[in-house]
Amino acid sequence: MELFLMALTNGIMVGGIYALVAIGWVLIYKCSGVLNLAMGEMTLIGAYLSLTFYSMGVPFFLALLISISIGFVLGILTERIFLDKLIGEPVLAVIMLTVGLSFFFRGSIELIWGTDTRVFDPPIFSLEPIKLGPASISEVYLWSFIAAIILLIIFVCFFKYTRWGLAMQATADDEMAALSIGISARFVYAIAWAIAFVAAGVGGTLLGNINGLNISVGYLGLLVLPAVVLGGLNSIPGAIVGGIAIGLLQNFTGVYLDRFFPGAVKEIAPFVFMAVFLLFKPYGIWGWERIERV
Amino acid sequence: MSTTFLPCGDYHQNYAQEHAWWQTKFIKGKMILLFLFLFVFIPVTANSYWISVCNMVGYTILGALGVQLLIGYCGQLTLGHGAFIAVGAYASTLLILEFPWPQFMLDWGIAYPVSVIIAGFVAGIWSVLFGLPSARVKGFYLILTTMAAQFITVDFLLTQYVSQIGGRGQAFSLPLGTIKIGPWVIDSDLKVYYLMLILVIFFCIVMANLIRSRVGRAWVAIRDNDISAEVMGINVVKYKLLAFFVAGFIAGITGAFWISNLAAISPEHFPWFLSLSLVGVILIGGVSSIHGTIFGAIFMVVVMELLQLAVMPMADTYPKLLMDFLFIKEAAFGLAICLFIMFEPNGIAYRWQQIKNYFNLWPFSY
Repeated sequence: MELFLMALTNGIMVGGIYALVAIGWVLIYKCSGVLNLAMGEMTLIGAYLSLTFYSMGVPFFLALLISISIGFVLGILTERIFLDKLIGEPVLAVIMLTVGLSFFFRGSIELIWGTDTRVFDPPIFSLEPIKLGPASISEVYLWSFIAAIILLIIFVCFFKYTRWGLAMQATADDEMAALSIGISARFVYAIAWAIAFVAAGVGGTLLGNINGLNISVGYLGLLVLPAVVLGGLNSIPGAIVGGIAIGLLQNFTGVYLDRFFPGAVKEIAPFVFMAVFLLFKPYGIWGWERIERV
Repeated sequence: MSTTFLPCGDYHQNYAQEHAWWQTKFIKGKMILLFLFLFVFIPVTANSYWISVCNMVGYTILGALGVQLLIGYCGQLTLGHGAFIAVGAYASTLLILEFPWPQFMLDWGIAYPVSVIIAGFVAGIWSVLFGLPSARVKGFYLILTTMAAQFITVDFLLTQYVSQIGGRGQAFSLPLGTIKIGPWVIDSDLKVYYLMLILVIFFCIVMANLIRSRVGRAWVAIRDNDISAEVMGINVVKYKLLAFFVAGFIAGITGAFWISNLAAISPEHFPWFLSLSLVGVILIGGVSSIHGTIFGAIFMVVVMELLQLAVMPMADTYPKLLMDFLFIKEAAFGLAICLFIMFEPNGIAYRWQQIKNYFNLWPFSY
């Protein structure tokens, strides 16, 4: 029972981080229709930036803030330099551009920061587990979850109440209509990429706090893909639910299936689940079913 | 093919001439020169380093042919092709090492060829298994399933289970002399080169002929619009799965061929990077073109080698460069893909066609 509760709480906590990154992904897709495969590398960039500033002696929150602002600028630059030219091109071209970008980012990251595992030193969160009723969780998970929830609320408020957020919603809904009432679609795309970079960066920083930071954290960034497939590609609530579900799935398989399939079952379970899920419900829980006409 | 320009006043007189691959004497001459270049000139002049580069090119061509078939001709996006190459390589290795071959088969050198063909079928069936979702989904969703194929096959099944067979730990090593075709023991780069050349030529011919057959036309119809294809009476699911099977088969053969070059195989030889780079190869070379596959592979391998040659002299002054070169290569490859998609979306094959047309029509190019 204790094992169950531990898997449950840990799953929800890690799932919160996945949900955060998944929101960035869904945002790009909703606004500009770009299916982004470079998300893993984007989490890495943000994480490494905050780690660099942190190890230079900057307080953690300031370091995170600096990395967020750099991520914002990088997002705008990426969109302006690479994605802007491809509006209206076939899907494969755009997807492969993001694959090219992921190679480029990954190569640059390895070039700048190397491949050794780095940790936030001194650790930001204490290693003492916190008692939460019958279950105990480590402090990192709890704070990550709280941070993820705060950011989720900020995002939701941003979309509901600010001018930019409303403009993004309008563009996602109907680009032509949005253009005709004077919203600059290019501006919206750039902002979407910037926000995605920020979300990925915060997610990456939190993930890096759990087990240290190396290039394989980027693989955790890829887990957003099962998450968004589960929730539906263009649904923000779907991304949250999907992220938490994937976190839960990972922890439960890790706890219960590991003795039957020793090894990396925890890492592979989301992808197996995704492959099977796609067979039965390809548009996810809340995604729009695309109706095609010849 | 229709793109061939015949000399003025020269016409086809029967269908066989129109279907011929090499339509004029001039083209035949060019092709014979090309074959001489490949079979005689390169082996005689190149040193073992460049031969191994050529082998790498051949491996990339063979791997990318399957991707070209799926993406370029059938429109099924795939990002997990490396998994099927891995399945082929492992199937062949395991057959050679573990299967109780009768002694006479080993003596006559039948074991390796048989294992190659079985590896092709195993990889083909494995590929069909992951192609099954294509009956219901397409585009991005299919990318996700094939991606899942990569992680499930290589990172899970091969790493955790298949590698444990026989208790060898992580890598399977092939003893020298186990890989032989008939009396021909493949133990040097040059022999691998000839084997590669034969396989590449064979599969290019097979692909080219398959594309212009009934099956190939069905694939192209599915690529262009699968709903219209279905309306026209094409069994879409059957042909999609057939495409997956053929692509997987070629991938399996590729993997089984490649073990002749590797002394030992381990899952690290087939990372996700391989699958992605194969798609990058066809995008750089040109989608829907067999020439494109070849140009893309040459570009990817040879340009990267040249980059290495250019960077290495600087390594004396900056020793860190030696270690970092792998990362520079990765970043450069990614940037190359981005730039090609942005500025030359039709790939090198299109530019090649333009240049050829320019010279064919020169000096009156209107």
